[in-house]
Amino acid sequence: MSEPLFVIVAILTLGGGLGVVATRNVVHAALFLLLSLVSVAGIYLLVFAEFLALVQVLIYGGAIIIVLIFAIMLTRSQEYPRISDNPQWPLAIVAGLAVFGVLAASFLWNLPPASEPEGPGLAKIGESLFTKWAVPFEVVSLVLLVALVGAIIIAGRAGDRE
Amino acid sequence: MPLEAFQVLSAALFCIGLYGVLARRSAVLILMSIELMLNAVNINLIAAAAHMDQTAFTGQIIAIFVITVAAAEVGLALAIILRIFRNRSTVNVDEVDLMKW
Amino acid sequence: MGGGLDRPSMDLAELAWLIPSLSFVAFFLIVLFGRFLPGQGAFVAILAIAAGFAMFWVVLGGFLGAECPDSFGQKTCTFNREWFTAGSVVLSWGIIIDPLTVVMLGLVTLVALMVQVYSLGYMHGESRFGWYFAVHALFVASMLALVLADNFLLLYVVWELVGVCSYLLIGFWYERRSAAEAAKKAFITTRIGDVGLLLGILLLFKEVGTFDMSTTFAAVSAGEIGEGTLTAAALLLFLGAMGKSAQFPFHVWLPDAMEGPTPVSALIHAATMVVAGVYLVARAFPIFEAAPDALIVVAAIGLITALMGATMALVVTDLKRILAYSTISHLGLMMLSLGAFGYTAAIFHHLAHGFSKALLFLGAGSVMHSMNNETDINKMGGLRRVMPITTLTFTVGALSLAGIPIFAGFWSKDEVLLAVLDHKNYLLAFALIAAFLSAMYMARALYVVFYGELKAENNHVHESPWVMLAPMAVLAVLAVIFGFVAIRITEAGGIGTFLFFNYPHGFEFNTGLGVGSIILAVGAFVLGWYIYMARRISLGPWKVRFAAAIRVVGNKYYLDDLYQWGVDRVVMAFSRFVALFDRVVINDKAVNGPGESVRRSGLNLRYHVTGRMYNYAMGMAVGAVAIAILWWVLTTST
Repeated sequence: MSEPLFVIVAILTLGGGLGVVATRNVVHAALFLLLSLVSVAGIYLLVFAEFLALVQVLIYGGAIIIVLIFAIMLTRSQEYPRISDNPQWPLAIVAGLAVFGVLAASFLWNLPPASEPEGPGLAKIGESLFTKWAVPFEVVSLVLLVALVGAIIIAGRAGDRE
Repeated sequence: MPLEAFQVLSAALFCIGLYGVLARRSAVLILMSIELMLNAVNINLIAAAAHMDQTAFTGQIIAIFVITVAAAEVGLALAIILRIFRNRSTVNVDEVDLMKW
Repeated sequence: MGGGLDRPSMDLAELAWLIPSLSFVAFFLIVLFGRFLPGQGAFVAILAIAAGFAMFWVVLGGFLGAECPDSFGQKTCTFNREWFTAGSVVLSWGIIIDPLTVVMLGLVTLVALMVQVYSLGYMHGESRFGWYFAVHALFVASMLALVLADNFLLLYVVWELVGVCSYLLIGFWYERRSAAEAAKKAFITTRIGDVGLLLGILLLFKEVGTFDMSTTFAAVSAGEIGEGTLTAAALLLFLGAMGKSAQFPFHVWLPDAMEGPTPVSALIHAATMVVAGVYLVARAFPIFEAAPDALIVVAAIGLITALMGATMALVVTDLKRILAYSTISHLGLMMLSLGAFGYTAAIFHHLAHGFSKALLFLGAGSVMHSMNNETDINKMGGLRRVMPITTLTFTVGALSLAGIPIFAGFWSKDEVLLAVLDHKNYLLAFALIAAFLSAMYMARALYVVFYGELKAENNHVHESPWVMLAPMAVLAVLAVIFGFVAIRITEAGGIGTFLFFNYPHGFEFNTGLGVGSIILAVGAFVLGWYIYMARRISLGPWKVRFAAAIRVVGNKYYLDDLYQWGVDRVVMAFSRFVALFDRVVINDKAVNGPGESVRRSGLNLRYHVTGRMYNYAMGMAVGAVAIAILWWVLTTST
């Protein structure tokens, strides 16, 4: 039962990804990214990680995409670049395929034992996050703070520096 | 679904993102590709935790941290892009090559 | 080893090492403190030499009283101290005292002392006065060390040092291009000979295993070395002697060496340095005696040199050059004597020639000093009216060298002719010709310069100061009496009982030969009188008939031109090639090459730093893939 679902979601994910890297229009790319990221949330649901699916949609789809679109709008230049690809894009295809080959080979070499996925449930995640992973949790929040301050400083207008 | 399927999916998405990083010209597009890569990694972590680590689900905790750090990184990266755009009125990475020979 | 019971005399002879050391110290003192010393160091040098001369008498007394083992019939004392050991080779400082050394010590210290006193007057007012005396002192020290050295290595070291001092003194007035060239020529020509010397020393070392002279001679007399090797070694040593003693074909440097100050010519190029070669052959006589073929070569070269020098002396008009060619000729006679087993005769002639030739050079210097450095004899004449004492001393020296009886030169030249008669009588005719010629050119020099009419422009010429005349007088007295002293030196009679090889011999006088040589010498003087003084015989027609020969002789037998051609064609071509090789192959290719290639490769490699991030990212991706594949290959292939 989960197989056809998996296939559909997988196609959506990969399709969105391909859209991001192939389209010439930046806004289209952002929308493709949104599609891909929401599909990834679907994958999380397939492995019964509901909380993470929720977080994924909230953060990525809610915040990051918005920020990206803001940035796109703010950095529009007068003339659209005719070509949105690099001179080295053929080589990039080869590199991408090579890396995929390596990774797939390493995943399929030694197959893990067959098992059924299980979801942890919110309670378990919360408990783990605030006991065993409490310190990294605090550090990550510090990281967010630093990123916030840094972003303000870097992107601030010339007169806003003080 | 066997774990390998999720893993191969993750590998494919990662490589798509890698292609995007290597082949795109606009800094914003490169940033989006990086997001794809990060998500691919998350898929791997979460699927592996769900299948193999069913007592502690470490992979999923780590995935949370990855999402958080990715968010912070996007913010900073966009700040930098805005700054560059303000100085050069382009986000074309071809033209940010002051460190060349 | 001086194993003697007579300790006091032993110690006295052992003090001989002080003689060169005093002059060495004088050299350093003058170089370092010359400005503060009286007379800019001249008196320090003279003091050192005078002390050396005094020490000579002490050493002589000590030697005569000492008990030392015999070497080839002669009492030989050696003292040495180990210097350092390299593997199985022991190098030592040492001195050897035997009659040969003793007479050389006396000659060198006396003539050096006379010359240095003379130099006080001759070099007066010279800007580098102090340096002159410093190098003089160094030279004297080296020469004394040379005659005292008891091992070949030490000999070689001071041999070279003597050459260096000669170079420095010939080129004393180095502002003059000709002087600098002459110094260079002297040094290089003798250097070529020195290569032979070094090879000879090394050959001997290879055979005997030590540089020590006494050991080597003992090995030779014991027959341990093959005759072929001995001949080779002897000839190689003779090469060195040929260089220093200006034998044909290495004689070309000596006439040019007259560019140096005249006292230098007197000391170095008449009495001491040039006889280093004669000394070497005499010292190494055991080797030469065991290789008779080498002695034939020595005699032949000596004879050729004697004849060449004598003929050239007849043609030149420069007073100093006449004396230089005369020196070459007499050195040839000494070698001829050695080649004819005339050991005693050679050394005797060496001593007599030393006093006489030094005297002649000092006289020439006196003339030049008064005539503002004029050396052309045609501009001189009748100087006896204005420089009587110089004339007197010069005449004594000239008569001595020409072989007029009662003077020292007569006795010594006679001994040489006797030796030739005894052992190599097929060369006697040539030797007599050389003797006649030597009288001839001396007569010519004497008559043209000092007798005859005084030219009007030379009226202002006056006698030289006493400081220059006194040494000349001393040497003149020696030139007169040395002959008698030498032939009656001990109660047995004759220098032959003091200084000999293998067996002593009393003074022999072959009446026929003696009379013959007297006739030749006196005849030359009479002939000269007719030509130059009475002008009865004119040289005109002779000059026309022998014009070609005169041209050849006047051009020094074209030897200089030959050498110049050789240097230009061969040596310069080779050195150009070497310079090219050094510049292109070694410097540009080998030394600069790696640096250049690094620079160029860097210039080409830098293009990979494009500044674009996606290029770097590509590098990372490719690298990751490569590492994965490598890891896979390594882990699955084991």
